[in-house]
Amino acid sequence: MKGIVLWISGAALAFFFTAGAFLLLANLASAPSDKSLTPDSSSGGSRPALDLSLDEGQLASLSPLPNQSLDLTVNNEGSRQLSDVNVTLGVSSENTSLPDSLYYRQTVEKLPPGEAATVHFEFDLSTLGQPVARPTAAVPEPSRKILEIRATTPEGISAVRTAILPP
Amino acid sequence: MLSRTTALLIAAAFATVGCAHPHEEVSIAPLAPAASKVDPGLGPGTRALSSGPGYKGSPSWSPEGDRIAFTIDGYVVDKPAGSEDLRRWTTRDFVAEDTEWISDDTLTMLGAAPGSKTPSEETSSSVYRARAGKNSLGLEKVANGVLAMTPDREGLICALENRAYESGLMLTDDSGEVYRLYTTPIQGHVTALSPSPDGDQVVLAVRPPGDLETSELRVFDLRKGKGLEITRLHGNQEILGTPQWTEQGIYFVAGKKNTPMDADGSEPLYFLYRVPAEGGAPEPAPGVGEDFVAASIRVSPDGEQLAVIGRLNPQAPPNLYVLDLVAKDLKAVTTNEDMEIKTGPDDLAWSPGGRSVAIVARGTPSTEPEVRAEPADRLLRDFYNLYEVPVGGTPQ
Repeated sequence: MKGIVLWISGAALAFFFTAGAFLLLANLASAPSDKSLTPDSSSGGSRPALDLSLDEGQLASLSPLPNQSLDLTVNNEGSRQLSDVNVTLGVSSENTSLPDSLYYRQTVEKLPPGEAATVHFEFDLSTLGQPVARPTAAVPEPSRKILEIRATTPEGISAVRTAILPP
Repeated sequence: MLSRTTALLIAAAFATVGCAHPHEEVSIAPLAPAASKVDPGLGPGTRALSSGPGYKGSPSWSPEGDRIAFTIDGYVVDKPAGSEDLRRWTTRDFVAEDTEWISDDTLTMLGAAPGSKTPSEETSSSVYRARAGKNSLGLEKVANGVLAMTPDREGLICALENRAYESGLMLTDDSGEVYRLYTTPIQGHVTALSPSPDGDQVVLAVRPPGDLETSELRVFDLRKGKGLEITRLHGNQEILGTPQWTEQGIYFVAGKKNTPMDADGSEPLYFLYRVPAEGGAPEPAPGVGEDFVAASIRVSPDGEQLAVIGRLNPQAPPNLYVLDLVAKDLKAVTTNEDMEIKTGPDDLAWSPGGRSVAIVARGTPSTEPEVRAEPADRLLRDFYNLYEVPVGGTPQ
């Protein structure tokens, strides 16, 4: 009889101990993952931010000819001055079977916080894909031109805009 | 007795510690880039399988269902279904019309290598094969003058152009080696073909001699080497794409082609029909509704369902539908309102397990310049891209 009582009390003790341990571990395990999903506001608040603006009217006036020009605005929306902001313009075709894209580059040397700089590009939209831009068996519709603009700083801050021009 | 109690407590403690998760296992693993891109334009559960520019088409799942091959601007690529690691199979100047896996490491392509076509060969292409792991851009030509191809249980069935108005058939094994060439001529020009459920026969869409349209369906017995016409359309009607042979009959899309007289810019309307495999007059496919406009069809691997790209009526947006062939029940599996879904005959593909269908779609192109805040190679809706649409469950 004494043995049975001891077994029952031992089993009950083990049950409560195990349940308590599970509860404790469940709380411990879930806390860090919840935290990791929350954006880190302390680092994001002071991080400099770049933005790019394109003039859609000017984009609409582009044609598949040489000597095209585009002005775009680079905005420093952060709280620190940015230096040596590289702005690249990549011109390519929607048709990926065409050879290499064309690239143009400009640099903004200093961009104080809250200020904007205008970057001017002159580029050629006449040659890229011209011989095969017309519909073919593989691509039965005229291909569009793609302008991809990237602004990057040496610290790795970047912004990107892609403009798709109708044929 | 005390030692028994102590042992019990120690065992409970071990069990507790053993069930606890190490800290790093509770973090959420990042999704593969392609898997995370869900386009809301086609409905819940849809997964983007590609992104960026390029005129894409002819999706084909590998037999294991872990990779998908497709064409971009004519050349051929494949990639794992869950990542963006694109592998190119042909040079960029190759022009492929269709791609089909015939084994897990062998891909066949119907098309033309640069400079391979003479003016007299303009109507037909060649079949090439390539094996994974070898020189990926080195293609082996399997046959010239190929009009159409379809995979079957053992490899590939190809329709060949014998003469101007005469076709023939050829079989390859799963490595692309030709093992049977039929001498029985087929009168006319084969435009598409697909195997019967048991694989012993094949249904052919044929443009008969002297006819401007693909207007005839023939079945060809691969064991006996004999063919038989089962139906023929009249009155400027044409068969569109590849007929699909099921236990419930042969389904095909057909309609009246626009003529210069009534070419008012409106899209010609094609409808889904069914004809018995033994032959007879085609009837509207049961279960789809009389206003349903069909474009392309593909039978599921188990033969019980038919994937159909079409519209509920001529004014409705295109969607992917699945027709239960036994219950005669049509169900929309996309909820598209403003996307263009490609309607080419090879622009849809069932996954090997039959749980999803790959389609090709894009947003309606604008006539004005559009600006996006993403790099071009990450854009989805602006270009034709591949989407995996779950059919009655989560895609594999």
